[in-house]
Amino acid sequence: MSDYTIIGKRMPRVDSRAKVMGKARFTADLKLPGMLVGKIKRSPYAHARILNIDTSKAEALPGVKAVVTGKDTEGVKWGVFSYTRDQQFIQMEKARYIGDEVAGVAAVDEETALEALDLIEVEYEELPAVFESMEAMASQTEPIHEDFPNNINVHVNIETGEVDENFKRAHYVREDTFTAPEDSYFMAEPYAVVAKFDYDGCLEVWCPNGGPHMKSKPLSNAFKIPLHQVKIRKIAIGGAFGGRSEICPADYICALLAKKSDKPVKIEFTREENSIATRQGHAMITTHKTGVDKEGRVLARETTCYLDGGAYVSTGPIAVSVPFLSMEQVYRMESVRYNGYSLYTNKPIRGMIRTHGRCFAAGLDTQLDMIAEHLGIDPVEMRLRNVRKPGEYTNTKSLVGSCAMDETIHKAVVTSGFKDKWGKLPPFHGIGMGTNAVQVGFPMGIRGGSQSFIKFNEDGEATVMSGVVDNGQGNDNMLVQIAAEELGLLPEDIHLVSADTETTSSDPGSYSQVSTFVGGQAVQIAAKNCKQKLFEVAAKVLKVKADTLVAKNRLIFVKDTPEKSISIKKVVRISLTNFNSVNAEGGYWPKVDMKREWVSNPYGQMCEAFSFGTTIVEVKVDPETGQVEVLNATACQDVGKALNPLVLEGQFEGSIAMGGQGGMLTEYHEWKDGRCLNPTMLDYKVPLACDMPTIKNIIVESIEPLGPYGAKEAGMSIAMSAAQGYAAAVSNAIGVYMDSFPLTPDKILAAIKEKKSRPQNKES
Amino acid sequence: MRLPRFDYLGPDTLDAALELLATHKEEAKILAGGTDLVVRMKKGLLKPKVLISLKALNELSYIKEDGKEIKIGARTPLADIIASDLIQTQANALAQACEKVGAITLQHYRGTIGGNILQDNRCFHYNQSSFHRSGRQPCHKDGGKICYARDEADRCNSTCQSDGATALMALGAKLTLASKGSARTVNLEDFYTSDGIMPFAMESHELLKEITIPLTGAKSAYHRLAYRSAIDYPVVCAGVLLKPSDTKKEEIDDVRIVVGAMSRSPLFLAQASSSLKGKKLSDIDAFKTAADTAMNSASAFAVHNVGATLAYRCEMVAQMVFRALKEAAQAADR
Repeated sequence: MSDYTIIGKRMPRVDSRAKVMGKARFTADLKLPGMLVGKIKRSPYAHARILNIDTSKAEALPGVKAVVTGKDTEGVKWGVFSYTRDQQFIQMEKARYIGDEVAGVAAVDEETALEALDLIEVEYEELPAVFESMEAMASQTEPIHEDFPNNINVHVNIETGEVDENFKRAHYVREDTFTAPEDSYFMAEPYAVVAKFDYDGCLEVWCPNGGPHMKSKPLSNAFKIPLHQVKIRKIAIGGAFGGRSEICPADYICALLAKKSDKPVKIEFTREENSIATRQGHAMITTHKTGVDKEGRVLARETTCYLDGGAYVSTGPIAVSVPFLSMEQVYRMESVRYNGYSLYTNKPIRGMIRTHGRCFAAGLDTQLDMIAEHLGIDPVEMRLRNVRKPGEYTNTKSLVGSCAMDETIHKAVVTSGFKDKWGKLPPFHGIGMGTNAVQVGFPMGIRGGSQSFIKFNEDGEATVMSGVVDNGQGNDNMLVQIAAEELGLLPEDIHLVSADTETTSSDPGSYSQVSTFVGGQAVQIAAKNCKQKLFEVAAKVLKVKADTLVAKNRLIFVKDTPEKSISIKKVVRISLTNFNSVNAEGGYWPKVDMKREWVSNPYGQMCEAFSFGTTIVEVKVDPETGQVEVLNATACQDVGKALNPLVLEGQFEGSIAMGGQGGMLTEYHEWKDGRCLNPTMLDYKVPLACDMPTIKNIIVESIEPLGPYGAKEAGMSIAMSAAQGYAAAVSNAIGVYMDSFPLTPDKILAAIKEKKSRPQNKES
Repeated sequence: MRLPRFDYLGPDTLDAALELLATHKEEAKILAGGTDLVVRMKKGLLKPKVLISLKALNELSYIKEDGKEIKIGARTPLADIIASDLIQTQANALAQACEKVGAITLQHYRGTIGGNILQDNRCFHYNQSSFHRSGRQPCHKDGGKICYARDEADRCNSTCQSDGATALMALGAKLTLASKGSARTVNLEDFYTSDGIMPFAMESHELLKEITIPLTGAKSAYHRLAYRSAIDYPVVCAGVLLKPSDTKKEEIDDVRIVVGAMSRSPLFLAQASSSLKGKKLSDIDAFKTAADTAMNSASAFAVHNVGATLAYRCEMVAQMVFRALKEAAQAADR
């Protein structure tokens, strides 16, 4: 069915070779002439008033070139939305978590910079601190931000349908609460930033980012310089997972130090700083109350979720909403009421993370399994009765186009042998499934679309310009594949200029699953436009109509008589000698409801497409130690169209590792009075390759009509169904529905013991 | 994180190394692989002026036996121990323990048995950056008077997480400590101070030279629990040595049960061990009782400072001891 030459093919990524050979350059590798080392002074107190900062000794230290404090910032505040500006880049009045920025230094070397940090004297008055959501709400002491009594920061309320009425007529209702502590991204690359001011006042910045344009605008605001004077440059990035989306105070401090010292400055985070002073996943308490009819169809659901939001709001309104949105996208509910709260606490700042609330997602599926058991329905049937179908509207009024949710369930069930195993496995051996959906983008106003430019060079090769950033997931390769396919060139003929705010147009960034859908589509359109120009020239030469031509393998030829052909290079040269340039532009703006807003109006078309997935996991639990051995995982996703199955399978596997193996079994932060006790790779248990199960990947292609080649989000969101699948499998193995994640051996063992001590089950 | 400045000395002979130690004493640290030392230095937990590297001292890398004892040079790489037939047949617990240290690459190229025994005790309130440790009172091990792991504790409760030491204590190993012009031998069991600040009873001019394991014909086994299968310290571990009677083959003559990662040093549990004297090799119930006794004895020492939960670690003492006993008994029965 596929006429594609390059799309859909298993092609090694264009950036792989440089990365595996250690030749790719990341921010920390950059060296600019005269570059200084920047370091950040952070608050060692969780909540403290800053009474005085004395930098005189640090400034007097030989080798120190600049010291900055809040006084140098004019008090500028950052927030993702105009209504959430709560964070100064350098704190002046209060420190609100252990790690909050209070000063910065730039010196000739790291040793001097570190010495200077120690010489900065900060006088604090310690304030009572709160570290948990419930504690924060109940607190009678000084709120963390004065405008937010009880530390309630964000409240998202969504209600559709007759919730109370439907609960009354429900056949069966149950309410369960699920919890999980904070988790972390552990990107392979700790955060780093290099900043430099030019002779003409332009600011150049290199740093890992989820979208360069999301960095340039806040920096231009903060420094009160025009947008074009902030140039975010492209650099290799070692992972984001939602944790690199926004501007980071380090970006601002680095630029401020560069400005003050008039030298390039580099700040490299330690692993500890990357853990505590970038972003973390929220700790959450989620209560799902669900009412179903006799067949197990959800009539009403009321979900209340408390997110421990940390010291500053960050993406708060989005973070509070997305767990709910993932739920309403994957499961039909006749009516639903959602109350999501983000609370300020004196802990690190929180951000979006791949699973979008592991206790929310895994809790939802756990409860479905509980209801199914009560009704005597198996987990597969329970899901088939409740999952999303194409052509439906979500509760918040988004039309769902392509949707092969059912197919992902069927295929995963067959491949994993679920039906032969479920309920038939020996004791402490279990199998479980999870299903998920995710939105492909969300309304982003002025930054919702992407635009691409393509120019042909006289050698017949093409340069493609796009604002899309590659965080490690393979976006660069995706753009190259699309351009090569459309232009009829080979991947090596495409030269990508991307993720640079000086040379590329605005783009939504890579944190809302739209890089392929929007950015890739912009490149596709630009390439089509460019190809059209080539065809018009070639048509004259070949004396045929332009619409009879196709381009492939560096040739343009007549579709029905392929021997009638001309090389693309020749066409370009002919065009240039005839005073015509060969270039084009193309852009893509998804048609979403621009009136939709996270808090004030959470209704309307969210995005143009949704992806759907199923993960089935089989485990063995050691009943004496509670340790889990994962035997295999089957991941199946409706990705619209797999542009490169090789890359996609890597994404699936990363999802299993992050959402399942790590997220559900081993990863969590431990604290002592707001101090993170396991910020390093040794102490925070990210799974190792040798601990991963066998993974079977199944790609389902529903061909999304609005996506490029039918593509939509692919691979990222398997992390969600993986979390659910892992939780369900463990629960199935031990015969206890678990409600506290991750499922560490101590919890599993306690559940097994508790079950043993229970008087013989009355219910089943 | 950067290493603080230090002088690097690389003596060619043991005598030269001892000479350097005698000169620099507490200002010097021995570098025998560095997988523990370098990490602590990067965190600013210690700032030695001098590092004396044992890299060139191949004379301290050997595994041999003289009919009575196995002798292991302190700088022997873990990989050599894991691969040794002699260790596998006569002191299997040690081979099993070394296999669990770090990862294969560390066992080959960095980790040494001496370094594993002398790795410092750990605690997640102490093994942190200087930033983490600022803004609060220093703990005992950090020069202060507080223990964050146990309220009101008058001393440091850091935990010894050495796999090697736990196995070796079960095997009844001895250490030979050399210093300029002299040497002494000490039972591993008597080598610990019961204070986590400086857990080892050794002087700053002394160097761990050799580990000796008596050849008794007893069987041994080592079990541990961790979150990951590599790059992870144990949260609880157990080593046992089980000697069948010379006269009645089915009967146990002597047992040594040692539990690790639960206290400032591996714990030799005398009561649990002696409870098995005279019991049958197949007496599973006796193993269970001994394992429970071991759990009760060891639990009193443990604090929550190395991950997992304290209750879980205590409970798992019994499991690890039981599994090790069962495995050693099976080996003895063969």
